[in-house]
Amino acid sequence: MFETSAPLVERRQVARDVFVLGFDAPEVAGAALPGQFVNLLLRPGPLLRRPFSVYRALDGRVEIVLRTVGAGTAQLLSLDRGDQVSVLGPLGHGFSIEPGWRSLALVTGGLGVAPMPITAAAARRAGVEVTWVHGARTAADLCSAWEGERVVWATDDGSQGHRGSAVGVVPDGVDAVFACGPNPMLAAVAERWPDAQVAVETYMGCGTGVCLGCAVPRRAGGYDRACSEGPVYRAADVDWPGLPSHLHYAVGA
Amino acid sequence: MTDLSVKLGGLRLRGPVLAASGTFGYGTEVPLLDRSKLAGMVSKGIFLRPRTGTPPARIVETPSGMLNAIGLQGPGVEALIRDHAPLWAGWDFPVFVNLNAESVEEYGELTSRLDGVPGVAGFEVNISCPNVDQGGMYFGNDPVAAGRVTAAVRRRTKLPVWVKLTPMVTDIGVVARAVEAEGADALSAVNTFVGMSIDLNTRLPRLANRTGGLSGPAIRPLAVHLAHQAARAVRIPVVGIGGIVSAEDALEFLVAGCAAVQVGTATFIEGGAIARIHDGIAAYLAGQGFDSLEELPRYLPRD
Repeated sequence: MFETSAPLVERRQVARDVFVLGFDAPEVAGAALPGQFVNLLLRPGPLLRRPFSVYRALDGRVEIVLRTVGAGTAQLLSLDRGDQVSVLGPLGHGFSIEPGWRSLALVTGGLGVAPMPITAAAARRAGVEVTWVHGARTAADLCSAWEGERVVWATDDGSQGHRGSAVGVVPDGVDAVFACGPNPMLAAVAERWPDAQVAVETYMGCGTGVCLGCAVPRRAGGYDRACSEGPVYRAADVDWPGLPSHLHYAVGA
Repeated sequence: MTDLSVKLGGLRLRGPVLAASGTFGYGTEVPLLDRSKLAGMVSKGIFLRPRTGTPPARIVETPSGMLNAIGLQGPGVEALIRDHAPLWAGWDFPVFVNLNAESVEEYGELTSRLDGVPGVAGFEVNISCPNVDQGGMYFGNDPVAAGRVTAAVRRRTKLPVWVKLTPMVTDIGVVARAVEAEGADALSAVNTFVGMSIDLNTRLPRLANRTGGLSGPAIRPLAVHLAHQAARAVRIPVVGIGGIVSAEDALEFLVAGCAAVQVGTATFIEGGAIARIHDGIAAYLAGQGFDSLEELPRYLPRD
């Protein structure tokens, strides 16, 4: 785990209102594994850090993907190249790519693409064939960035690819499923693939296991910390009805 | 070299900055902190028995602050003694155990179980717990109940007993004097303020628990005032708590009459906050020409 002041070096749009930001943070980029996250601090800015999945980590750069949901994301998207943020990471336990897998489906909804490019790259390096099944509301909301994996689109309005949920169009016969997206979508993934690995989104205080704020209810009872035991879980191990399906972001003043 | 050591209720601490309960886990979780600057820590609050904690959402950020309702999730005292205290016994700073219970008897039982356990240097009594024998009224809101809890802990240990005061009272001095009279060695002032935040999309509270404890810089001036009021009311030392993120913040509490401070929410943002604050206090004292923290003038009028 590193804490480093990192300049913004990259900003590009990948869907309507959705941007990729890149920060020059070589130690963090070098250590980041698929499904891990970074916790970003803005000064001046909101009190707490803001957690983001590592989208890609390459050439000493850590990338995240975001859209404006509150004060922190709004401020991040207003940064100019060269502006510094404090990057803490990599944090959490990510996806585990098992030896012997030949095929993997990545199932994402909306901003659930966040942990997948780094994961797809790692899977390809391990010789696993990757199919990315990506859903969003409309064609304009689909993330347009992919790197060689087979892509299956789904939109709620049918404006691109299949009409309906991404979960419904995952090809049969894949050796494993990784998913990230709205919690109701992940609950549907858990129904169909109990052994899928899913990355959950929660509120987070510290991101390092201290505050117990990012509680994830376990089907076996009790709570885990998304920042430490998670954010990636075996789908069937999460008590989905106990996890808020709606993250209401507070706006600072 | 400025002497930052502090004499506090029979203990000598190597500095004035401690880690606040619930923000430092059991001492191993916080990353990137130079622990040689840490004067001591207060463990995550513990009950006799394991506690699951409250459902999510458990935290929400508010202007310059955060609301939390963790529900004192914890493994219970036996697991604490088995898994954590043995580590503490080898550390070079004292670990205070934050005690929580739902009855006076239970506070006493918890103290008896922990007294004499190697690694336990003292106790901080959290009186911001509901008293089941009094319909869930908080011990800390009632000077009589707060005094009874203090006495129950005091009777069962010779180790330092600190009592952590709630700010949700009309006159903190009354409660401060009540627990001093029952043998508290020091006061921790203050705990979080009860707060609430509403989501206008769902028109429901943001926290599943409806309410939570407000911490962070939002409460600092309120906390400085209450710690000062407590310090004026008693002869025992007061440990100031509330929204400290910088050395200047800590020094406000120290000048206002506190012997030491605890840092909490700042640790969530920056693991090394306590060391930075410690160094900043040393730099301030040196810059002002003081050789030690004891020389720092306190603003503590007794009238």
